[in-house]
Amino acid sequence: VTAPIAVAIEPFGERAWLVTLGRHIDPVLNVRVHQLAELVNARRAAGEGGLGAPVAGYASLLVPFDPSITDADELAGWLAGAVDGLPEDMAPELGRLVEITVRYGGSQGPDLSDVAEWLELSEAEVVRLHQSVEYRVYMLGFSPGFAYLGLLPARLELPRRETPRSRVPAGSVAIAARQTAVYPLATPGGWHLIGRTDAVLWDTARQPPALLAPGARVRFVAG
Amino acid sequence: LSPALLEVLEPGLLSTVQGSSRDDWQSLGVPRGGACDRWSLALANALLGNEPDAAGIEMTMIGATLRASTDCVLALAGAEMDARLDDGLTVPSGSALRLSAGQSVRFGAALEGSGARAYLALPGGVDVPDVLGSPSTCLVGGFGGLDGRPLRVGDAIRGRAGRAARLGHWDGRCSPGGGSLRIVRGPHVESVGEPAWRALLASRWLASGRGDRQGLRLDGPALAAGAGTGSAARGTIVSQPMAWGAIQLPPDGQPVALLADCPTVGGYPVLAVVIEADLPVLGQLAAGDPVTFVSVSLAEARTALALARREMTGLRNAV
Repeated sequence: VTAPIAVAIEPFGERAWLVTLGRHIDPVLNVRVHQLAELVNARRAAGEGGLGAPVAGYASLLVPFDPSITDADELAGWLAGAVDGLPEDMAPELGRLVEITVRYGGSQGPDLSDVAEWLELSEAEVVRLHQSVEYRVYMLGFSPGFAYLGLLPARLELPRRETPRSRVPAGSVAIAARQTAVYPLATPGGWHLIGRTDAVLWDTARQPPALLAPGARVRFVAG
Repeated sequence: LSPALLEVLEPGLLSTVQGSSRDDWQSLGVPRGGACDRWSLALANALLGNEPDAAGIEMTMIGATLRASTDCVLALAGAEMDARLDDGLTVPSGSALRLSAGQSVRFGAALEGSGARAYLALPGGVDVPDVLGSPSTCLVGGFGGLDGRPLRVGDAIRGRAGRAARLGHWDGRCSPGGGSLRIVRGPHVESVGEPAWRALLASRWLASGRGDRQGLRLDGPALAAGAGTGSAARGTIVSQPMAWGAIQLPPDGQPVALLADCPTVGGYPVLAVVIEADLPVLGQLAAGDPVTFVSVSLAEARTALALARREMTGLRNAV
């Protein structure tokens, strides 16, 4: 049962609307966000010149536009209609399934033993749980190609590290809260590193450059 | 490959190739990017007859030292960094200069009150490949500009044109200037609480930060985020899209203004958004600069944007 949704369409500066569909992390809400993004993209593809590429959050969508081309109020009205038209009770659409091969633990996942100890699980159980569900890409952010994947099994829920690392190697597979992710590039990072993959998450020479698009499904397998 | 115009002798604090933004890639986590102060870049470009957003070198707080590999013309705008030729001649911001092969130009520290970023234009713009539609350096993604990194010693900088389309002269201001930013109400004022919004407008702030391209802290009275309702009153929200110009309110109550390379999503409430026309002013704030905020309506912000665009494109005819 989904809680009643208080939809808000508010200005985010003079050249974007922020459409907030809800205030929590929820797969059904997030599916609605991406369906709305698809409708906006369809309108762009149909030649709506002033409309920018929408940016998704967990439960909200930023819709940028050029106010010298697009009538802001007309766009807000259209967005409200589009939200109203989203099917109420939808099964998450099945996006492309991507399998990511992970080497867990040891030097490849330096936090796995600590994670297991905190959770009072064996390392093998942490790995099994991490592989036990199919994840969805909720949104991309933090760095190019960084996909927020959820939901991590509740048994693996941990707060972020108290002290973030100044450099996390590219390909690191990490968990924090009810999320998991692969760091596409060497960046700072505060999540727990449990493994590493050779999968290339971000490559500007590829089209699209991000391996994981919003809505894609992900399975982790041991390699 | 076009011939090298300049060799980097000293890279300065943070010097990157910057031009247009990458507005259409934010859904993949790519920051909008591009020059933090597009107005000054447009002026430097106008002095050489370039397009307003042709790629230039953005130098932060402490500039670079560059040696001409061949006779060339360059143009400067933005913060005053005491540009000096090796014969001692100084070149003010807002002007073009000629270098003979072998001659070098040295930029120093940004003069207090003149801004944080200086822009150097080359004939036709800096010649680097477009990546995802823009020549700008994306530092977090490691692409664009010179291999996605800041300038370093020994880099060769090339121009897209053999010679400048023109050599302009300009008597006006050399940077957008001013410590007043126009803002519109952000989406979380209601949940953070009206007092925080009023205090943002009523207080004088001091810019602070490390001179990166992601964000700028604003030091002043801590804004209480407790008067409102909802999760934002507890300091965080479910991660949502962010944008250049957003003024976030982290739990410590010190607002942060987001810059060109800010992450595309974030979890702090947004109290206000700096209007697009004033992003160049925001991009020139250096640590210690005073800042105040003025609330404007959406209609005023849109009028200001149209005006700012006309002014930027008009610079080419004005120089």
